[in-house]
Amino acid sequence: MGKEIIDLSSVRARVKKQIEDAVPDARIDYCLTCGLCVSGCPASGIEGLDPRKFLRLLVLGQDEEILETNWIYSCTMCQRCRYACPMGIDVGRIVYEIRGMRPRDKRPRNLQRSCDLQKQSNSTGIPNEDFVWVVNDVLEEVRQNEPQWKDLQAPIDKKGALYYLNQNAKEPTVEPEEMVPLWKILHVAGIDWTYSSKWWDGANYCLFTGDPEDWEYTVRKQAEVVDELGCRYYINTE
Amino acid sequence: MFYATLEGLRRFNIPHKFEFISVVSLYAQLIREGRLKVDPSWNKEGLKFTCQDPCKLVRQGLGDKVAEDLRFVIKAVAGPENFVDTWPRLSNNYCCGGGGGALQAGFVANRRRFGKIKFDQLAATGADVVITPCHNCHTQILDICEFYGGNWKTTHLWNWLEKALVLDGGDQKGKD
Amino acid sequence: MNRPKGSVLVVGGGIAGVQAALDLANSGFYVHLVEKSTAIGGSMSQLDKTFPTNDCSACILSPKLVEVGRHLNINLLTLSEVLDIHGGPGDFRVRIRKNPRYVDPEKCIACGTCAEKCPKKVPSEFDLGLGIRKAIYLRYPQAVPLKYAIDPDACIYLKKPGRCGFCKKVCPTGAINFDDKPEELVLEVGSVILALGFKPFDPSVLDFTGYGTFKNVVTSMEFERLLSPSGPCMGHMERPSDKKEPKRIAWLQCVGSRDINRACHGYCSSVCCMYAIKQAVIAREHSESGELSASIFFMDMRTHGKGFEAYYQRAKDEGISFHRARVHTVLSSSNDNLLLRYSGEDGNLREEEFDLVVLSVGLETDPEVIRLCHDLEVELDHDNFISTSPFSPVATNRPGIFVCGAVSEPKAIPQSVIDASAAACSAQCMLYPARWTETKKKEFPPERNVYAEPPRIGVFVCSCGINIASVVDVKAVTEYAKTLPGVVFAQNNLFTCSQDTINQMAEIIKRERLNRVVVASCTPRTHEPLFQETLREAGINKYLFEMANIRDQDSWVHQKWPEKATEKAKDLVRMAVAKVRGDEPLPYNQLPVTKKALVVGGGVAGMVSALSLAEQGFPVCLVEKKDRLGGHGRKFYRTWQGRLMQEYLDELISRVEGHPEIDIQLSASLDRVSGSVGRFQTRLSNGVDVEHGVAIVAVGAESYKPLSGPWNYLYGKNPNVHTLLDLDQRFIAGDEGLKGLGQAVFIHCVGSRVPERPYCSKVCCTHAIDQALKLKELNPDMDIFMLYRDIRTYGRREHIYQEAREKGIVFIRYDLDNLPKVSERDGRLVVEVTDPILQKGVRLHPELLVLATAVQPRDDVGELSKLFKCAMTEEGFLLEAHMKLRPVDFATDGVYLAGLCHYPKPVEETIAQAQAAASRAAIVLSKDAVPVESITAVVNQAKCTGCGVCTKVCAYHAVSLSEETGKAQVDTGLCKGCGACVAGCRSDAITIKNLGNEQIMAAVEAAMED
Repeated sequence: MGKEIIDLSSVRARVKKQIEDAVPDARIDYCLTCGLCVSGCPASGIEGLDPRKFLRLLVLGQDEEILETNWIYSCTMCQRCRYACPMGIDVGRIVYEIRGMRPRDKRPRNLQRSCDLQKQSNSTGIPNEDFVWVVNDVLEEVRQNEPQWKDLQAPIDKKGALYYLNQNAKEPTVEPEEMVPLWKILHVAGIDWTYSSKWWDGANYCLFTGDPEDWEYTVRKQAEVVDELGCRYYINTE
Repeated sequence: MFYATLEGLRRFNIPHKFEFISVVSLYAQLIREGRLKVDPSWNKEGLKFTCQDPCKLVRQGLGDKVAEDLRFVIKAVAGPENFVDTWPRLSNNYCCGGGGGALQAGFVANRRRFGKIKFDQLAATGADVVITPCHNCHTQILDICEFYGGNWKTTHLWNWLEKALVLDGGDQKGKD
Repeated sequence: MNRPKGSVLVVGGGIAGVQAALDLANSGFYVHLVEKSTAIGGSMSQLDKTFPTNDCSACILSPKLVEVGRHLNINLLTLSEVLDIHGGPGDFRVRIRKNPRYVDPEKCIACGTCAEKCPKKVPSEFDLGLGIRKAIYLRYPQAVPLKYAIDPDACIYLKKPGRCGFCKKVCPTGAINFDDKPEELVLEVGSVILALGFKPFDPSVLDFTGYGTFKNVVTSMEFERLLSPSGPCMGHMERPSDKKEPKRIAWLQCVGSRDINRACHGYCSSVCCMYAIKQAVIAREHSESGELSASIFFMDMRTHGKGFEAYYQRAKDEGISFHRARVHTVLSSSNDNLLLRYSGEDGNLREEEFDLVVLSVGLETDPEVIRLCHDLEVELDHDNFISTSPFSPVATNRPGIFVCGAVSEPKAIPQSVIDASAAACSAQCMLYPARWTETKKKEFPPERNVYAEPPRIGVFVCSCGINIASVVDVKAVTEYAKTLPGVVFAQNNLFTCSQDTINQMAEIIKRERLNRVVVASCTPRTHEPLFQETLREAGINKYLFEMANIRDQDSWVHQKWPEKATEKAKDLVRMAVAKVRGDEPLPYNQLPVTKKALVVGGGVAGMVSALSLAEQGFPVCLVEKKDRLGGHGRKFYRTWQGRLMQEYLDELISRVEGHPEIDIQLSASLDRVSGSVGRFQTRLSNGVDVEHGVAIVAVGAESYKPLSGPWNYLYGKNPNVHTLLDLDQRFIAGDEGLKGLGQAVFIHCVGSRVPERPYCSKVCCTHAIDQALKLKELNPDMDIFMLYRDIRTYGRREHIYQEAREKGIVFIRYDLDNLPKVSERDGRLVVEVTDPILQKGVRLHPELLVLATAVQPRDDVGELSKLFKCAMTEEGFLLEAHMKLRPVDFATDGVYLAGLCHYPKPVEETIAQAQAAASRAAIVLSKDAVPVESITAVVNQAKCTGCGVCTKVCAYHAVSLSEETGKAQVDTGLCKGCGACVAGCRSDAITIKNLGNEQIMAAVEAAMED
């Protein structure tokens, strides 16, 4: 054992305390160390950790290790452990808080960048005009090439439409033809829908960086857009 | 991400007038109401379908109900006999490993190691098609399929729904 | 109160209700026993075997059920439910609805023809849907009452009159009554006992268990039925998917227990660890291949009861695997097998395939029971169990309404039986003025004088369901019996102990004019009294009877050699017939009862026993070794529910001291005890002589002090090392110094579950955790570490374990091969332990180290046990007559036990056991005379030389030399008929009645015949 001894003259589990303050129902201390989460978590063993060890580090105040491990980016915060955990401990939520404790410049670059772009317009960073252009271009192509779909619609900013549809930025960016099937389906069903020309991205990586203010900002923007359009339903495509 | 908006609205108490819904529930509703007519007869080869239950949509989102809707739609589209379910399933399904920003975060080896359990689960179904109603799942499952040598096609639901659509006049659209 | 009613209503016909009913009916009260199903027996009747004795559950239960069914003072109301209860203590009015059986119980002979012809098959609820039954059915083969019933939800005729009706056509006695209607009854009773039982948790809501998805995932209750000989696969242990014998079985613990997430049950169900081990042990015995691999996946192994830890160790030694791991999801594998992925404590993942997965489901309260309790205004706790308090463990919030069994907290059979007797005691304390006012008296017909008759022997060969018949050719044995000299009648029965067979036997004895009877079945230990009473009812002396044990001593032990077993059964029957031929009628001896009790021990148990008897009007002599009352309880701060022990104790002592019927003898112990049940004479060390009819032993136990040896941990060397009781002293004293402590460490299992004291001390986990919580109350910033092996906060105690974790108390597990190390640096304590999760050492610097030391038996218990001729366990605790069903009786009649001298237990269980002992004692004290042994020694005065050897060998002090004649004389009140004197007599002058040399030799010679 030698160096591997944890010496506790007093337990200063600051990270745990910080999480508990932010998330009163985090239940870190409830852990029975039963190992159920370990057996159900696909991230078990990655970076030498698993959900139970992770909680144990928190409980025993091993804050340095907690703040340094990249396991927090292998845990996808999927909450499958919480689903069956006898104590209902939300490791995903705890991981979220810890991701947020990491200085921005120490976070995975692309992840932070996706969120930063999202805060400007969308996660891929294509200009909103390009999105509008791509939608209209693809629509035009379908109308021309497929006579039975000559009336196909892909409205943007149509005030008072019943349904608002968001669009994962991946499609207009790299595979625009993937947008078409959904347009056709909505058309056949006679759905009155619209895109928005801003805040239209269905993805949202600010959920994963750990900064609630970023997450809140992006969702607030979406909500404003939809309410501005006056749509009764907001359809998420995923 | 379904959950990003759903939980965002809830957690930050963001005022809004709309109702937030999933396209999967909408498909199921439209089919049940007869507004979308679908016919699985295009599936002459009997392509076998399975699906991923996206954590953000199912476990963290709308629960088993939307996952059952997903299955309902796939069965309507591909034929009930052509759906092979996974285990675990619904709210208890495995995360694909692409979520939580893992696709953006780097740590590719870790992400694929995580995805192995999903790969094994999907491979065990023997399905030809894996429906992924979430873009993260889509990208991750495409990747692990290629990386671990899977034989299935990873697609969105809309491609097949389009294929099975019955247009007014009764003919199935089907394009080959 | 005017004179109270002399009758009691017991609701629920499981083991608890049955025990309560029997205690009351046997001590002078008339009992109405209400059961909602068609037969009594409850959950216990569905079990295959019971832990830790591995007794066949139905076999040990059956005699009690039959006793209820035949009891003159028990009115058994099946298919009945309580509608409402009005009134108060001593005078309740209860409305009962009695649902139709559609079969006239007076006419039904349980021949089964109706069920054979009934075309409607439905899943059997008794077999939890694994087997089928007909619309007209018996709940189970040994059902009491053994009367068919029609299930109105399934019956074709009742749904569409005019259709079917086959049962009515074929019934030979015309018992079918399709016009049967519900009836409403009003009962007037003095008290009510709720014994409403439990319902196994339904794991369907836990999708990850695979229950309902995979055929080979079953609940533990279903597995009991798969193991049971009366179950759907006749005890051959088949898995549901392909009816093949599973070779690899896994048990998943805590399904529906200790789960505040999906199962919403934060409590521990208390019994599941033990029943899983039992099932694993029994499954291995059942396994025909003998290669069953059994694995139990658990969180904490909770083997906290008497004999449980040894059972656990034995299971480990036998090769049952124990994995400290909870499994997230049951996965499927090929051939309907199941795959379990689990993590070791070190985080390493393993996978193992199983043929069958058993979910160890917890206990919960049936929603119907919850509704009933609401209607009756009986308060439930937040787990939906009936609320009780630690100091009145069987009282509900409604005065006069008592509770027993698993409906007040999940518990095993022994505690349910204890509760039942305690509830009976509570009712008696209230109703004693009305004792014997509503009861009926049993009259037997005059006995036929058979001296002159040549032997006419009847032989009844029992199949015991398939317990015997699956191995022994019972028909061949029956035919063989008919050929034996003196046998004039022989027949084979499915269950000889069933009520209809018993009644039939009485008829046959009369009709065939039998004067000797042999039953070839199970053990006389449980069944002899039942058959003997049948002889009396048929008008012959009950000693004209023998049993041949062709089950325990034959079919069970020779399963693999059916032919030889059949031959052995014939041998045993032949021997019994040879023996019974020489049996003579014996007198029914009775002894008058001295209506006074001696209670030994002035602690909580002794005082509660004494008060419970005194309050019923029986005088009590309470003997305490020390110069004051209180015992061990003096040292306790509070119960885990937060009730202050000293307040309770002070009040209890003043009630005892103030009671006119209690004579307190302090600074006294027992010097000499003589006599037997009904009339003991005891000489105390202070010279006082006490005559008493019964005795209750409640001498307590001691706290282990590890002054040296491996469990020392600097106890007695460093002033900051305490035992639990040392710390309680500081709590009681209100020691302010505790508030300033920065770090405290508790070490559990100090001296328990170790080679020299292999048992679990049961109370220390809860006690230690409560103390840690108390320290947190004093100083919320204190860091507290609990070093433990398994946390055993069974039942509702689990809530304080959870509370402790919630409050940040850290639990670190250790093993016997990796003990915590305690050292001292500059006078300060250092504790080192390995955290098994992180696999790292943890070094602690406590200012207080508390050792949760063992509860150990007092070393003078041995002396006391000799005085009363009581047995002891290997560990030195006193041994009850039967661990399951006679938990407060000693094998010696008229002597009972309660409290820690029986086994470590918390105060609520001590009080319940003390009340139970009082209830059992009252059965004797309420009577004017008790029956005593008839098979006693007789001295042939002509042959006796007066050498006195017999007086020395008699363990019961029953033989003495007459001062007049100088020859041996036997006190038949004390003689147990053991035969030691016979063996010791050099002159062949003593014999035992009905066990004379001629008879023994006849049996031996019969054994040698071909």
